[in-house]
Amino acid sequence: MLPNILHSRAMPYRLLSRDDTYVLNYSTKYLARDNTDDRHNYGQYAAGDPRARIAEAWRFPIIDSYYDGQDYEASYDFNTVTFIYANSDPGLASVAVVGTFADLHAPVPLRRVAGTKYWTVTMVVPKGEVHTYKFIVGGEPRLDPVNPQHATKADGSQWSRFFTQFCTQIISFEEWEVVLLQRLTEHILPFRTTEGQRFLDLYYNYLDRNAKETVYPHAYRLDQPIGAVSFIDKVVAREESHRLQDYKICLETIDRLLRNRNPYTEPSRIAMEFYTELYDQMAGGNPRGWDFSRYKNPRFFLQLLRRHTYTGAFSHPKYGGNAGGAGWAYLAANLPDPQTGALPTERSQPSYFDWGHALERPLGRNPEYHG
Amino acid sequence: MAEQDQFDVIIVGSGAGGAPVAHTLVSAGKYILVLEKGPLFRPQQDDPLGLSDYKRDELISDGPEKILTIPGLVNTGASFYTSHVEPDLNDEPHIYQSNDSADYATIEGYTCQCVGGGTQHYGGVSLRFSERDLTLRTFNESRTDIRHDPNGDVKREARDWPITYTELEPYYTKAEQLIGLNGTRTNQIKVASADYYQKPLEPNPISEYARIGMEALGMKPYRTPQAVITQDHAPSGRKVGPLNQRDWEGGPKTAYVNRYGDCLDYKSTTWVALLRPIASRPGFTLRPNCNVTHLECNASRVVTVHYRDPSGQPATVSGKVIVLACSAIETVRLLMLSAEQASTFDSRINQNDLLGKYFLTHCFGGASAIMPGRFDKSRTIDSDWASDFCGTDDFIRSAGLWAGATIYNNTSDQALPIALARTHGATDLDTLWHAFDNDTSMVGEHLKDFLNAQFNRRLSVSFMANQVPQKANRIELHRKVRDKWGRRVAYIIKSWHDHDRFLMDTIAARCRDVLGYGGDGGKGQYPVEGFGGVYLSENALARIANHILGGARFGSDERDSVLDKNCRAWHFDNLYLTDGCFMPTSGSGNPTLTIQANALRVGDAVLASGIV
Ligand SMILES: Cc1cc2nc3c(=O)[nH]c(=O)nc-3n(C[C@H](O)[C@H](O)[C@H](O)COP(=O)(O)OP(=O)(O)OC[C@H]3O[C@@H](n4cnc5c(N)ncnc54)[C@H](O)[C@@H]3O)c2cc1C
Repeated sequence: MLPNILHSRAMPYRLLSRDDTYVLNYSTKYLARDNTDDRHNYGQYAAGDPRARIAEAWRFPIIDSYYDGQDYEASYDFNTVTFIYANSDPGLASVAVVGTFADLHAPVPLRRVAGTKYWTVTMVVPKGEVHTYKFIVGGEPRLDPVNPQHATKADGSQWSRFFTQFCTQIISFEEWEVVLLQRLTEHILPFRTTEGQRFLDLYYNYLDRNAKETVYPHAYRLDQPIGAVSFIDKVVAREESHRLQDYKICLETIDRLLRNRNPYTEPSRIAMEFYTELYDQMAGGNPRGWDFSRYKNPRFFLQLLRRHTYTGAFSHPKYGGNAGGAGWAYLAANLPDPQTGALPTERSQPSYFDWGHALERPLGRNPEYHG
Repeated sequence: MAEQDQFDVIIVGSGAGGAPVAHTLVSAGKYILVLEKGPLFRPQQDDPLGLSDYKRDELISDGPEKILTIPGLVNTGASFYTSHVEPDLNDEPHIYQSNDSADYATIEGYTCQCVGGGTQHYGGVSLRFSERDLTLRTFNESRTDIRHDPNGDVKREARDWPITYTELEPYYTKAEQLIGLNGTRTNQIKVASADYYQKPLEPNPISEYARIGMEALGMKPYRTPQAVITQDHAPSGRKVGPLNQRDWEGGPKTAYVNRYGDCLDYKSTTWVALLRPIASRPGFTLRPNCNVTHLECNASRVVTVHYRDPSGQPATVSGKVIVLACSAIETVRLLMLSAEQASTFDSRINQNDLLGKYFLTHCFGGASAIMPGRFDKSRTIDSDWASDFCGTDDFIRSAGLWAGATIYNNTSDQALPIALARTHGATDLDTLWHAFDNDTSMVGEHLKDFLNAQFNRRLSVSFMANQVPQKANRIELHRKVRDKWGRRVAYIIKSWHDHDRFLMDTIAARCRDVLGYGGDGGKGQYPVEGFGGVYLSENALARIANHILGGARFGSDERDSVLDKNCRAWHFDNLYLTDGCFMPTSGSGNPTLTIQANALRVGDAVLASGIV
């Protein structure tokens, strides 16, 4: 785990009131249940972990859009984070949360949603950040019993963790893993082709010149094609944490295999052909030198990587990939008229995928939808 | 805080079947409670923060990977992907029996579990059924030209509805007025006493191929009626925003209509069209996040409704009239679970052996092709052109079919990049991503070629048609598998009749022709790569088209039906069923407008019953 994920700066926090309906809407389906079997453990929990009883535990705390009621473009820099703590003990007097989003000595009290077992508080937190927190229940600090994300601090203490949208900080992988993933995803996406690369350069340059700060503050130019690796890093940290182990084992296996094949070159520097060859062998299910005792099905990992890479390239940038909508912009600009072969140009030929039309400002240009 | 626990009427489920009853009764001054299992996800307009729980975000409708862990099923260990309003498959599966008599869990057979039910995610195609759809017994009785029906099942199993089109017609009109649709009437075979359609928007240019094809084949097209407003809608108090000034910005034309909840107010869901307008009336109470577990009766009256509150605690309420509208499978299941709890309930609801039987969906399918041009399909409200050509008596007879179909084009499918990949080669909700995952050669240049060949070039033409009712097609309770409350889950057993297959082949060929003639300006030579009926697909037996019908059919003879003409359960005084379960035949079009119209009718019947 990279150490830079833990913010320690103290800052004033902003609270927001979300109504009871909102809180229940995001609680009942997941947290109300009788069953005690581990129906939701697909490898992400140790046996007996009580979170395995909860559907989609990764949704907690609830990260959502923010609107200050006046200026939604300015509001776009923030998310709301809604903490939910379920406890049916009627005698429980207070619950609070402490975390890196606020002064560590200032616990923020949760309120009980009347007539229910849910306690809650909503705060406004900037996008693109990673934070750690604990609940204070009856005076005692406790990890969030639902949120599967944990982080270990320098002093060895365990904290619950969350990250807000548009997060490009790497949280699941080591640096060498990131580099390896970059090479692998490059082979999958079409952006590595000459035109693809030229397009991306132009697109980001355009954003750099005119728009990066004002129109779209979250368009980071990453060192990786359109941030697919950043997406994968986030999805295995949260929604698909059961797949983190697949990546850990396979990246190590691939690293070793490439080193064996090319003893004198770092895997990050070897030529693309080696990746292509490895890719094809993995697709065939039997790469030379693969350690099957560690991971049985290299083709499966390839499929996983491919689904994630594609999804990262073309999903909403709030998930950490598709930086600045570059994946969408690629589709808008690079698919020709099948009859004439002409590419869309701004003046004569309208785009075949006007993605900005439907989407919230400042990412898109829809005048009604606020994200 | 003690919550009110006595109401005139309790309605379970807030979708197409539940909301119209609520609207009718509250408007008449009654005190009603709607218990809805799912959340109240709000559009921007009624969220206190001005933000919607629905998002224009492909990953909200195509959730992350989860893995089926329920032991003992054929697909245990398989990946599945559900949207944010579908239940978790491990918590609340439907189980179906496949060809090899083995059990699979499926996400098919759920629409949406939220206020508005399936109308939140639906495509909004809002067709009326034809007069013929309601009289299929009479129509087929003396025929000798029905093909592919060696055992005479059609004649034996076809039923007339206990109400005529003329009786239903005023309610179709009322539904169309209250809900808010756009479309055109000319060329429809369905007679309307009034026209409340709003003006349709310009069709997406790719739909022109479908129009040309239909015209070339003599299938007179009309603009598909869809539950999306294009003008201010007075009955529900909705406004269309900047659309009027600038049709090219804003407005409802986005690829986030079908399969998405609308973050704005354009889609006419039952929440924005029927419930929100009455929400501030004193007679209206809505409890979302409350899952009804069973009913309790005292002789012929259902008196108590048992449910779990948002914390999961048991709670009860009572009402003088109980209306169930959980969508057919879940309504039937709720009744079966109630019958298990008490023999009095059991003997009344199972006064014959028909509960759960004659479960229906539609014969459906169509054709799909890569068209000559590329168009921005992401600017659409889903369907542009429809035709009743395959619904006329002449057509039905000449083709040797037992009943008719409606054909319409879909514009929004695969209009967004993730949808394109995840549904590539997939035929249903259980096989999403399969083909893409397996086609590992699609990388780099090949991926570019794929996008180039497919993205915003595909057009599909679909059909919906009556399925032959079969008693063996049924809903039961599964022996072993239980939901997260320990309640047995629904078990779906169904197969296609020979005649269904024949019908699907016949109509799918017409859909192919629409594209074949549309693609080359009327010559009929344009290549169409795929066409067929759903029965050909992987998991064909699980497929329900989101059209969940039958299982508690209405009729005029209590030996032959579960419900009377007013959708009241025969041996109960005060139990009404208003979701799709009442249908004895499934109609020649998408069912929701008919469910809504019928629910408005039942609302009037409840008022007329004198119980409340
Ligand atoms: C993606 C999609 C596209 C569709 N497109 C179309 C279309 O274009 N045209 C068309 O006509 N139809 C379409 N449909 C189908 C349409 O949604 C259904 O026909 C319609 O919603 C069915 O109405 P219903 O009342 O039977 O059930 P629903 O509308 O599903 O309502 C049932 C409600 O009951 C609730 N409920 C269930 N069990 C319980 C319980 N135990 N306690 C409390 N509440 C409960 C559910 O949460 C739900 O809200 C589509 C469906 C989907 C999913």
